[in-house]
Amino acid sequence: MKNEKTKLENEAAGAKKQAEMKAKAETEYEKTAAKTETEKEKLEIKPFEVDRRSVYKCVQCGTCRSVCPVFETVGWESANTRGRMLIIKSLLEGREPSEDVLPSLATCTTCGICAAKCPAGANPPEVVEEARSELVRLGITTEGQEKLRSTITISGNSFGESRDRLHWLPDGERSKLPEKSDYVYFVGCFDSYRYPEFAKKTFEVLQHFGVTLLPDEHCCASPLLRTGFKPDAEKIMGHNLEQIRKVGAHTVITGCAGCYTTLKNNYPGNLRVISLPEFLAEHLGDLKFKRLDLTVTYHDPCHLGRHNGVYDAPREVIKAICELKEMKNIRENSRCCGGGGGVRIGYPDISLKLAKKRIEDVPEGVDYLVTSCPLCVRNLRDAAGDIEVIDIIELVAMALE
Amino acid sequence: MDITEELREIVGERLSVSSSELYCYSSDASQVKGLPDYVVRPESTEEVSRIVKLAFEHEIPVTARGAGTGLAGGAVPVKGGIVLDLSGMNRLLEIDLDNLQVVVEPGVIQDALNDALKPYGFFFPPNPGSSAMCTIGGMIAYNASGMRCVKYGTTRNYVRDLEVVLADGTVIHTGSKMLKSAAGYDLTQLMIGSEGTLGIVTKAGLKIAPLPKARKLVIAAFENAELAGKAVIKIFSNGVVPSACEILDRVSLQVLKRYDPNLVLPAEGDVILFEVDGTETSAREAAEQVMEVCSPLALTIKLAESEKEMADIWAARKLVGAAVSRLDPTKTRIYVGEDVGVPMKQIPKLLRRVQEIAEEFDLPAMKYGHIGDGNLHLALFIDVLNPDEWDRLNKAADKVHRTAIELGGTVSSEHGVGAARGKYMEAQWGPAFEVMRTIKKALDPKGILNPGKLGL
Repeated sequence: MKNEKTKLENEAAGAKKQAEMKAKAETEYEKTAAKTETEKEKLEIKPFEVDRRSVYKCVQCGTCRSVCPVFETVGWESANTRGRMLIIKSLLEGREPSEDVLPSLATCTTCGICAAKCPAGANPPEVVEEARSELVRLGITTEGQEKLRSTITISGNSFGESRDRLHWLPDGERSKLPEKSDYVYFVGCFDSYRYPEFAKKTFEVLQHFGVTLLPDEHCCASPLLRTGFKPDAEKIMGHNLEQIRKVGAHTVITGCAGCYTTLKNNYPGNLRVISLPEFLAEHLGDLKFKRLDLTVTYHDPCHLGRHNGVYDAPREVIKAICELKEMKNIRENSRCCGGGGGVRIGYPDISLKLAKKRIEDVPEGVDYLVTSCPLCVRNLRDAAGDIEVIDIIELVAMALE
Repeated sequence: MDITEELREIVGERLSVSSSELYCYSSDASQVKGLPDYVVRPESTEEVSRIVKLAFEHEIPVTARGAGTGLAGGAVPVKGGIVLDLSGMNRLLEIDLDNLQVVVEPGVIQDALNDALKPYGFFFPPNPGSSAMCTIGGMIAYNASGMRCVKYGTTRNYVRDLEVVLADGTVIHTGSKMLKSAAGYDLTQLMIGSEGTLGIVTKAGLKIAPLPKARKLVIAAFENAELAGKAVIKIFSNGVVPSACEILDRVSLQVLKRYDPNLVLPAEGDVILFEVDGTETSAREAAEQVMEVCSPLALTIKLAESEKEMADIWAARKLVGAAVSRLDPTKTRIYVGEDVGVPMKQIPKLLRRVQEIAEEFDLPAMKYGHIGDGNLHLALFIDVLNPDEWDRLNKAADKVHRTAIELGGTVSSEHGVGAARGKYMEAQWGPAFEVMRTIKKALDPKGILNPGKLGL
């Protein structure tokens, strides 16, 4: 066997090598920066680099094996958080990045349950997103990623739709929209094009509070950010920010968990961002809900719950309308629907399996599975069988009829 | 046909030679590294047998792996070859309550087994900190134990029968459902703790125990670790056998408090967690006895009020090893010298010596562990980007291992030897190590089973 191949590495030497490599990378970078523009372009293939501290936080204990939903479905170590962190480490330590990292790094839904459980306090979804962005820079992407990028950068939405984004607005309503308002409803691609009824119902409620719409909203840039296209995302975020400034809004309200976390955590400046369930919970007194004879359960979208701690608001709203019977895994322990992180587009089979697993958590005897994110609605509906999946705004609309 | 094709014939898509995948199997939770040439995920004894037979014919190393949570590199293929990822063989084959036994595949996860047994009022007692993800196969291969082994014993005490694939692919059973046997060598016990160097476990018949009706937790803080050690010895002498007896030194205490500020832990001191179990009455009596014995020695003594308080403390205790980064984000806990054990009487001495070693090499140290059975988990933490700290770390770990041997102890109490501690085997065992070599040679003449481990 390959005994000549020394496989036992000395750790100390390994760490020394890393430190040397980092120093080397830094000098390389400085050298490169001093070159002329054309030379710079030729030479500037800076090696793969992400924040090392956040990668080395992982002590490889494997706790994530007990929670990573993609690993549970796929079974290979590379499809688990620890595997992803190891692969990223290997790239930092000089292993040549190639397409064979993609089945690992592109299959993370960024659901964040590993971060919630990590005893060492690592934040793997953040590291994975950073790594994806580096891979994009080095030209290593999946077909799905590229398709998503061109769709969004060309059409301004994630579906490549050429229709007017406000097509769902009844005739004559558009001219009545306040040009200026403190509050603006950010609709998002999903509700604009796939669930216009959600958009309509949401706006019907928000309108009463003087909320307006952006004249030319584009995709929030979440799909671009999750899959590593930072520069493209920045352009599109700039456009939306400009729109928000035009309207003069200090607060953005959105019904999509993906838009919410992006607007809140990725947009520069200090936008005040409220999720639809938070807004509704705040205004329960003003909303004249009629009590419905229903029992529903609630799925916490990862980007609303684990990533931003919005657990109580949607539950308050639901309880103001009907009975809530919780799912098997909730709040911090909620299971991912499988839709996020570009996995629905890139790996539909994995995505569907995750959705099916999540559906198994639905308790007996409920009328609806309610959630608060159109991407979750979409993914869960694919797997739900005879369980009806609705967005929280649909429940609200029923209670307002 | 080349090896890749032959393996693919056996496991189909459950073979990988992708460079990224191989890298993911090149380490476990230890610092040992070694790249495999192939990773396969067999799903039956027959597949394992065919793979091992193939490896035997071509003299390719075969390293079995469960969840890869080991702390000594046991599942790391230091000589390359084939990694057998057995975590997919995870069926609970039989729950035989009348015989107080279960039959499982090696990939069954410890917690999953206990979740399945709970409705019947039973449990499989050995419970390592990694119980949420570690596999029964790995527990058998390394004779894993954990916090409750002070009363319930280690994995070794719970295995009745093993189905094992030998180096040439032959499948044997080492025992039966019988409680006792006087017919020949005890191959079951030989296989337990052999770290995959003598055979590959593909099924296990395990003894289970009825769940205790009640558990009580006494939390006592002491001025110093030596007083804590004395209290433990007194408890045992009084006839109380705690179901767990854990020490957390003052650094570990701060880490836990940082990890979860709501835990009901003392403000300071070296802490011992005494758990007692039994019926409601017997557990309460035992808890009272523990409190009484501790009172002249302890700074503070507290009985956990609720099930939840207890559960939270244990959950946090399980994660303490990896939680150090919470105290200082530039520091990472590195698992070296982390599993020594000494006879109970020597515990105070070990605690003192370990502290001196940490100071000598100027490394922050956290000490916790199963003081009731002499097993100390030392956590040294360093800045992994600093080569000098790595150097000091390795020297300190070496000294800790040698100290344990000097005190009549062991370099590993429950994590195993793997590739990390092989060099101490001669010192710990003397001529007995030669017997181990002879056994290895007899069962694995070509040296294909997990080569480079156990110092063999």
